[in-house]
Amino acid sequence: MSNLRKTFISNAERKFLNKNLEEWNRLDGRSFQEFRDVQIEFGKDWGCCQVSLGKTKVLAQASCELQVPKSSRPSEGILNINLELNSIGDPSFESNKQSDLASQLNRLLEKCIKDSKAVDLESLCVKMNERVWAVRVDVNLLNNEGNILDCASIAALSALAHFRRPDVTCDGIEYKIHSFKERDPIATVIHHYPVCISYAIFAGGDYIVADPSWLEEGVADAFLSVGLNGHKELCGLHLVGKVQLTPERVLETTHRAAQRAGSVIEVIKGAVEKDTSEKLLLKDTGFHKFDLQPIDLPLSELSLCLDHWSTAKGKKKKKPTKTETDQEEEESIKISKKEEIAELIPKEWDVVESDDDETSDDVVAIEPPKAEPVIIGDTESEEEDVIILNTPKNNSPKKKKKKQSI
Amino acid sequence: MSAITTIDYLLPGEIVDNLKSKDRHTIIGPGLRRNEENPNKSLIVTQAGWLRFRSPNTYWIDSRRNRYIPKKGDLVIGIVTKKSGDIVRVDIGSAETASLSVFSFEGATKKMRPDLNIGDIVYAKLLTAHKDMEPELVCIDQYFRAGRLGILSNDGFLVCLNLNLAETLLNAENPLLRTLGKKFPYEIVIGVNGRAWIKANQAKDVLTICKTFEVAKNESEKSIIEACRQTK
Repeated sequence: MSNLRKTFISNAERKFLNKNLEEWNRLDGRSFQEFRDVQIEFGKDWGCCQVSLGKTKVLAQASCELQVPKSSRPSEGILNINLELNSIGDPSFESNKQSDLASQLNRLLEKCIKDSKAVDLESLCVKMNERVWAVRVDVNLLNNEGNILDCASIAALSALAHFRRPDVTCDGIEYKIHSFKERDPIATVIHHYPVCISYAIFAGGDYIVADPSWLEEGVADAFLSVGLNGHKELCGLHLVGKVQLTPERVLETTHRAAQRAGSVIEVIKGAVEKDTSEKLLLKDTGFHKFDLQPIDLPLSELSLCLDHWSTAKGKKKKKPTKTETDQEEEESIKISKKEEIAELIPKEWDVVESDDDETSDDVVAIEPPKAEPVIIGDTESEEEDVIILNTPKNNSPKKKKKKQSI
Repeated sequence: MSAITTIDYLLPGEIVDNLKSKDRHTIIGPGLRRNEENPNKSLIVTQAGWLRFRSPNTYWIDSRRNRYIPKKGDLVIGIVTKKSGDIVRVDIGSAETASLSVFSFEGATKKMRPDLNIGDIVYAKLLTAHKDMEPELVCIDQYFRAGRLGILSNDGFLVCLNLNLAETLLNAENPLLRTLGKKFPYEIVIGVNGRAWIKANQAKDVLTICKTFEVAKNESEKSIIEACRQTK
C-alpha cells in the first residue's frame, strides 16, 4: 500500500533470496513454516469483510438474489465465487481482463469452497423448480503482497459465514422478500470450513516455504496449494510449476497445512461469532470502528535496528512506550464498561441471540474431532515445527538462535 | 542553508501567485510547473502537498506520493526488462519504461557492447523526461565518463523505499547511513525513484539495513536524527 510500484524482479533479488534460503533464512525474518497474521474485519453490511494476511488485503462481499434453478439441480441453490484482480491491488494486473492467474485462482477457490460442498445449497432452495437463492461472493484484491489465494479463501469463507439472506414468502404467484426489519435474516448453513493453504517450492523441492511473500512468489519454482477443512479433510490440492516432489514430501506438507488450517478456521469462527453477536446487540459495527493500522512505530524500534548488537539498550528505550500502552489499555477498559451498560438495554434481542447459538452449536460439534489429530503435531507453535524440518538437513539450531537475535 | 518556510497546503491546479523570489528568477522543485498564461509571475501546482520555500528563490511541493515521475537529470535505479537491438527497456518505476541505448556506456562501441542482461540493475541518469515522451536514460556524463553510473552487480539486493525516505537519505546531512556504517561496512546506491541497491559482506547486514529502512519509512526526519544521536 505504501510501497512503490514493483513490476519486475531483478536478478540481484533472485540471487539474494536464493542465497538466504540456503542459509535457512527468509527475507522478512519468518521461519519456513511461519505464516503471516490473519486479520478479519467486518463491514456494516452482512457478508462484507476485509481480510488481511500480513500486507496482502482482500475485500469480500456476499450478496444474493432469487433465480430460477438449473434444470439439472432443481432443488439446489446457486453459489458463485468471483475473484477479481484489479490494478488497485497490483499495477501489473489489468482490470476488466481475465488473466490466467485470475482464472486459475478463481477455479481453485471454487474447488475449495463450492466443490467441497461447504455451503448447504439445498437450504437455499425457496421452491423447487421455480425459485432458489443465488449467492454470489465477490472478492476484490486491495493490495498484493503475495499469497492472494489464502487471503481470498479466508475472505470468501468469512463472508459466507457472516452472510445473512432476507426471508422470503410466496403467496402462490408472487415471491415477497421481507426486509430485515420485518423478519429476521437467515444465516447460511455451512457444513465445514475449507481454507486454502499455500506453499512456495524452491530449488527443486529442497525448500518449501509457507505463505510466500510477493518476492518469494516471483522467484519460486513451483507452488503447492492445499484446501483443507477443520476435520483435516482434503478439499483440493494443486501443485503447479516445474518440480519433482516425492509423495512423502507432499503428505508431510499437507499434514503441516492441516494444523495451520485448524488455527485459521478458529480465527474465522471467532471473528464471525464476535461480529454477529455485536450486530445482533445493535452495536455500532463496521469498518469505521476499526483503527487504522498504527503507522507510527515507536522510535525505539529504529534505535533497535541501529544497534542490533546491544539489545539491552533497545530494551531501555522501549520502556516508555510500554507505559503509554498501559494507559491506553486503561482507557479502553473504561470504554468497554460504558458499552456494557449500553448492552443491557435491548433485551428483546436475547431471543435472536439464542437463534444464533444454534449455529454455534454446530460449531461446537465440529470442534471435538479436531482435538484428536492435534496429537500428531503435539504443539501449535510453528517454531518447533521448523526444528523438525531442519534437523534432517544437518542444519545446526545455532543459526536459528542467531536469527532470533536479529 | 537558509531556513525553509512552509507556505500552504495546495491541491493540483491551484496557482501560486506573489512569488517572493528575488530578481524574478525562480527555481522550482517537484510538484510545480510554470504557468504558461502568466510566466515569470506565477506557478501551477501539479501535486497535492505542502508548498515550501527557501530563500532566495526555491519553491517545491512536499507530498506523500508513491509514484515516481521522471525529471530531467535525476539519478535513478532501473531494472532491464527487455532487450531489443541497440536499445534496452528499463523499468524505473514510472508510468512508462525508459529507454537506454547500449552505446551510452563508457567506452561502448559497436564491437564493445556492455554486458546487459534482462533483470540487471542499472544506475543511470535521466537524459530526457518530457511528459509526452518516454524517458531516456544514459550511463555517462557530458564528458563521456561513467563516473558512478553503470551496471550494478548482482551480488547486492534491491529494495523499494518510498520517495520521501529516498530524498531524506540522499540528504548528505542525514546521519542514518553513517550510523549504520559504523556497525558494519556496506555499499549503497539510492535512486531518486525510491529504490536502493545494497551490498554488504553478510546477508544478515543487508537485512538489517532493509529492516531499518522499513522502520524509518514511518519516521520523520527529526526522529531519525534523534534515534541516530541516541545510538552514539
